[in-house]
Amino acid sequence: MKVRIDSETCQGHGQCVFLCPEVFDDDEQGFGVVKQENVPKEAEEDCARAEANCPERAIHITP
Amino acid sequence: MSDRESRNRAASEARRFDPYPGEFLEREFEIYDLLREHLPIARSETMSNTTLGDAKGGWVLTRYDDGSEILRDPELFSNQSLDYPVRPWIPQAIDPPMHTAYRRILNPWFAPEAMAALEPHLEQYANELADKMLEKDEFDFVAEYADPFPTVIFCELAGFPADDYPRIMDWKNIIMHANDGHHRGHELACAKAKALGHDVDPSQRLPQEAALAARAAAAGEVYQYFQSLLDARREAPRDDLISKLLAAKYEGERPLTQEEIEDTLFLLFMAGLDTVASALGLMIQDFAQNDVKRREFIELMDSDDPKRLGQAIEELVRVHSIVLLPRRVTREVSFHGALFRENDMVMVPTQASNRDSEEFSDPNTLVFDRFPNRHLGFGLGPHRCLGIHLARRELRIALQVFHRKCPNYRLDPNKAVNAFGGMKGLASLPLQVA
Repeated sequence: MKVRIDSETCQGHGQCVFLCPEVFDDDEQGFGVVKQENVPKEAEEDCARAEANCPERAIHITP
Repeated sequence: MSDRESRNRAASEARRFDPYPGEFLEREFEIYDLLREHLPIARSETMSNTTLGDAKGGWVLTRYDDGSEILRDPELFSNQSLDYPVRPWIPQAIDPPMHTAYRRILNPWFAPEAMAALEPHLEQYANELADKMLEKDEFDFVAEYADPFPTVIFCELAGFPADDYPRIMDWKNIIMHANDGHHRGHELACAKAKALGHDVDPSQRLPQEAALAARAAAAGEVYQYFQSLLDARREAPRDDLISKLLAAKYEGERPLTQEEIEDTLFLLFMAGLDTVASALGLMIQDFAQNDVKRREFIELMDSDDPKRLGQAIEELVRVHSIVLLPRRVTREVSFHGALFRENDMVMVPTQASNRDSEEFSDPNTLVFDRFPNRHLGFGLGPHRCLGIHLARRELRIALQVFHRKCPNYRLDPNKAVNAFGGMKGLASLPLQVA
């Protein structure tokens, strides 16, 4: 599983960092960044939850 | 009621849609549900734009998807939409690309890491306020806790002396609450309008002109207050937002002008003083009347699971969202079949978006582990609430501390709640320990 954040769309709600801190982090502006684009197996479920819960729909997961 | 009758009723509710008087709250969700079902993009006479001189009309959008679309498109739906007492507020009333440049200055000061560092202090101050309030068995939750908690924290962050709390509250109440059912705001605005020579009947809503004059006078005083603080911080900078604004560079190049700094402080002032206080009041009013949900929340709080608690806070923000988000149409456009004309006003009441059953199942019920929960309580798009990370922490800590000390309470049957409409909230919430 791979994940990316569309930085044009992300507005920094911080939900992804809250739900899946293994994969997501905030930059100094408070916008979401992906720490590791290859999602570790144990973080896949949380990462999928982060994608589903993003109010801006800025997170994109590919198998 | 037949479909046709419902549609007619919806059209008539939309035409005279006025979310500002306190009485609106009694039928708020009924009206939003009716509009969403029968007229989700509703033409309204009352939402028209008077500030641009060529009032045309307005729209009330009650569906989640429509509201989201508006908030994500600042080019077509501008934030230069309202009447401001002195000058438009930065960055709220500014569109990209300037908006983006201002937000780049402000964002780091309100980023999660900076806000996390405040937690011990938030905790300590909430405890102090709660202990004092709970010396009695009857208290006003808003006056003694919901109002001072975020306000004093904000004053400290901004660099406003704590002793100025009473006059800061008075200014805020005149500017925000002259005519929305807030008793104290109305009383102060009437006095101010009267002092300015307006004919005032305090038992009535203030006439538009008198209300604007009172707001402008109070805003003028706030601007003067900022000027003296700015002068002081130029001499001796401190670790506060005033000093940070003085040191900030627009696009990394030039310092902010005096006006830019004042207009930014003004926005922070308005946004920092009312929002968390309003939400807290509404949440506790709801809990005071709903033992089951209150107990469920306390249990969840005691489970010490940050994820569950965080989700619960989001759900409380969804159900008790307070903001109405106005936008101005920048060019004629067909929006899902409705013809929006240039300078039409579009109102997105997040209270309505957040209870759309297409997006949220069982939308009127607090479901603490609701998932997904893409609510619009903090807005959406580039104007997403700057203080989101502070607000979440303040709400969580305020609710935790209060419930730890006072798990059982009820509305005081002998005293009235004072609710206000518009950017809604409570001016007074008398409670009793149960």
